[in-house]
Amino acid sequence: MAEVSVQNITKSFGSLKALNDVTMDFPDGGFFALLGPSGSGKTTLLRTIAGFIFADSGSIRIGDEFVENTPVEKRDIGMMFQNYALFPNMTVADNIGFGLRVRKVGATEEKRRIGEALELVQLGQHGDRKPHQLSGGQRQRVALARAIVTNPRVLLLDEPLSALDKALRVDMQFELKRIQREIGITTVFVTHDQEEALTLSDKIGILRDGKMIQAGPPREVYNNPVDLFTAAFLGEANILSDISGDGADIRTPANLPAGGTLAVRPENITISTSKPGEDAISTCQAVLERRVFAGAMATCILRNNGTDIKVISRDQDIPPNIAEGDQLWLSWPVEKTLSISGS
Amino acid sequence: MSGTFLARLGKLWLALILFFLYAPIFVMAFMSFNASQYYQLPFEFSLKWYEKLAGNTEIIDAATRSVGIAIITTIIATILGTAASVALFRFEFRGKRFLQVMLFPPIAIPWLITGTAMLIFFFGIGLGRGTPSVIIGHVALALPYVIVVVSARLATFDATLEEAARSMGADGWTVTRRVTLPWISSGIIAGALFAFAVSFDQFVVSYFLSEPGDSTLPVLIYTSIRKGFTPEINAISTIIIVVSMAVMLVAARFSNFGGER
Amino acid sequence: MSTVLANQERLRIFGLLSPAYLWLTVAIFLPLSAMLYFSFLSEVPFGDAEWSHTTENYEAFFQTSTYAILLWKSIRLGLIVTLVSVLVGFPCAYVLAKVIKGRSREALFLLVILPFWSNSLVRIFSWAIVLRGNGVLEIGLNAVLPFEVDVNLMFSTPAIVIGLVHSYLPYIILTSYLALQAIDDNLIDAARSMSANKLTILWRIILPLSLPGLLAGAVLIFVPVVGSFMEPRILGGRVGTYFGTVIEDQFVAVYNWPLGAALSFILLAVVLLILAVASPVLRRAQT
Repeated sequence: MAEVSVQNITKSFGSLKALNDVTMDFPDGGFFALLGPSGSGKTTLLRTIAGFIFADSGSIRIGDEFVENTPVEKRDIGMMFQNYALFPNMTVADNIGFGLRVRKVGATEEKRRIGEALELVQLGQHGDRKPHQLSGGQRQRVALARAIVTNPRVLLLDEPLSALDKALRVDMQFELKRIQREIGITTVFVTHDQEEALTLSDKIGILRDGKMIQAGPPREVYNNPVDLFTAAFLGEANILSDISGDGADIRTPANLPAGGTLAVRPENITISTSKPGEDAISTCQAVLERRVFAGAMATCILRNNGTDIKVISRDQDIPPNIAEGDQLWLSWPVEKTLSISGS
Repeated sequence: MSGTFLARLGKLWLALILFFLYAPIFVMAFMSFNASQYYQLPFEFSLKWYEKLAGNTEIIDAATRSVGIAIITTIIATILGTAASVALFRFEFRGKRFLQVMLFPPIAIPWLITGTAMLIFFFGIGLGRGTPSVIIGHVALALPYVIVVVSARLATFDATLEEAARSMGADGWTVTRRVTLPWISSGIIAGALFAFAVSFDQFVVSYFLSEPGDSTLPVLIYTSIRKGFTPEINAISTIIIVVSMAVMLVAARFSNFGGER
Repeated sequence: MSTVLANQERLRIFGLLSPAYLWLTVAIFLPLSAMLYFSFLSEVPFGDAEWSHTTENYEAFFQTSTYAILLWKSIRLGLIVTLVSVLVGFPCAYVLAKVIKGRSREALFLLVILPFWSNSLVRIFSWAIVLRGNGVLEIGLNAVLPFEVDVNLMFSTPAIVIGLVHSYLPYIILTSYLALQAIDDNLIDAARSMSANKLTILWRIILPLSLPGLLAGAVLIFVPVVGSFMEPRILGGRVGTYFGTVIEDQFVAVYNWPLGAALSFILLAVVLLILAVASPVLRRAQT
């Protein structure tokens, strides 16, 4: 286990700058997400930490060791690949034991640790199977066991859950988190799924066009995104710049930097038929355009002065008997107002 | 790959292999333009072997015969092979797997064995040696190639297209003619070119089946080589290699052969 | 109604398939059967020759050691050519599949495969020009080397091996390339992330996964080389007597067709044995 520190990493492929002066710290034992759209450089950053790619400049430290010139074979990392990359010619046990055999730990030690790893991922009975005999979720567990069995200093995951269907993915998220806690390994994982990043990680790094846009705890980047891109990427946000009309009272939170843009997330808005009386809220009026029922939650689209405002709330919290075309009141707590500093 | 040294070594190896593969062919082509009959250097440019070739009726006849045989082989093998491919692709029936395995012997059994077996059989039924026997043999050797190439193309065919055509009221033959055949046409062209190459380059089977004095070009070249070197053979060989490589280059374009595109 | 349809369909399948398979039957399967029958005859049963059924053609193979020695010589030639082709061709396929990236890969691959589809007789002939004494190879080497060498490989076993490797090398490159290309690069990355060095990766990942392709290529080389006769004739001259050339002689020079048929069948048996031994691994390649 070790902390990882990435300082001022730059990497170009031809004329394309895949990583542009990227800096991020990954403290010991934490769970970190690299989030961004495709082509943002998140996978390049992960592969640079792994040692498959050598950066043009900048430094990478794992524990006390600077590794930017060390090839992947010597970095002592564990990695899980998007398609799992299980060796099809080997059994599950041989797959897991591969790194141990390379390290020449000895037959009995090898066997013991394979057994432990299989237990950890709850696949105790499957050691003799071949990868193609396993389900997607089981393969994923084998890949995880294989990545951690050598007790690497850091665990790197490249979109580890993207090949699973939705229900299984949620199960595996918890499983992954449980195992990570249990062994306390510093873990960096790449994803394009913001929900996954927000659920799992202690810290999220958001990348765009090779630049680290923002890095911080999930709550911080969600509530205080540095720019519109980040705000929109982490979830939906209603931009409040053009809100006006009778009763429009948009209050600015105290921490908003000057010249910034105000926004509010759809789930933080309350709909009411009359003007709400509480303090410390922002309000405005809007006309209901559309209401979409989706089980426990409902989505409403309202219109104020040419701006569409989206509201997501529990169906029972929406006033009954409202119809499309009704003039309604919207309100949200001032502290829930997003303060977007850049654009 | 890291280890650019190994990567460079690998590329050097590849270059050496390419040199090994092409050098003798280039030497032969080069020598066909050399004036000396005994391939003596220094090189002295001359077209005299090509001129002599133009006057050698024996070689010209053999070349004409080879091209003719190749064209007839191509037509027969392409039609028969395409029909069989369509049946193998379109229908499920008992014994299909067996029929597919049956394509293997003409490719896998050494031509020496197939050629001598044909010689015996054709003599047995009274057909004997000669151009008809050669054509029968060539078609049999070319058929599996046509079927394999056309089937590979068919495998990329979306069967729902046929169902869509049916749903619009087209009958089986119309579907085949208007939907299936246009789709596999590039496969058929590639298969035809393969068939042409198999026949035009075929030596072993032709050697056993063609009549002395009435032989195909490769057979004539073989007997000439065994008699002794003549630069005219160089010249015609150069022409053959250029023609067959050109045919295969075109076939490769049509068949998507060996490239993920 | 359904039986009418089924009959119609059966008729259509039959109509599409029978021409091709009838042709294969007449040109391949009946001749092979005829040859089997012939190999048990004492004389060619044409004209007014006396003939009878006999096993003496097969006995001839076992009575003198000549044929067995020649068969072994042909098998050994097959093994040498196959081994050389594998050692030379596999690294080449690896470079094509895993080192070279982008558009140039496809062009280079085509360039490697192309000679294979050109006339093999002519290519063997081109080696005769290169390898002969006072030929291009000798002149070329003497131009480069500081000392005088005398290279006359023509009419020798090395000449035959060189010519055959040249003829069949593209086979092994083709099959190995296809197998290597199918190996996910992530597997190699995964092995590296577990600290495996290049030798371990080659031995435990790449070779096992490309073995079916490698073996398919080896079989495709071995089988025709064992039955080769044209190449040893042209490049081997007097040392070029092999099992294949003996069979050829029976049909075009000695006219002992029954003996030739028997020898052909013994060769076929060897070929089928090789295919049978290799088929479990080859079948694994399809799954």
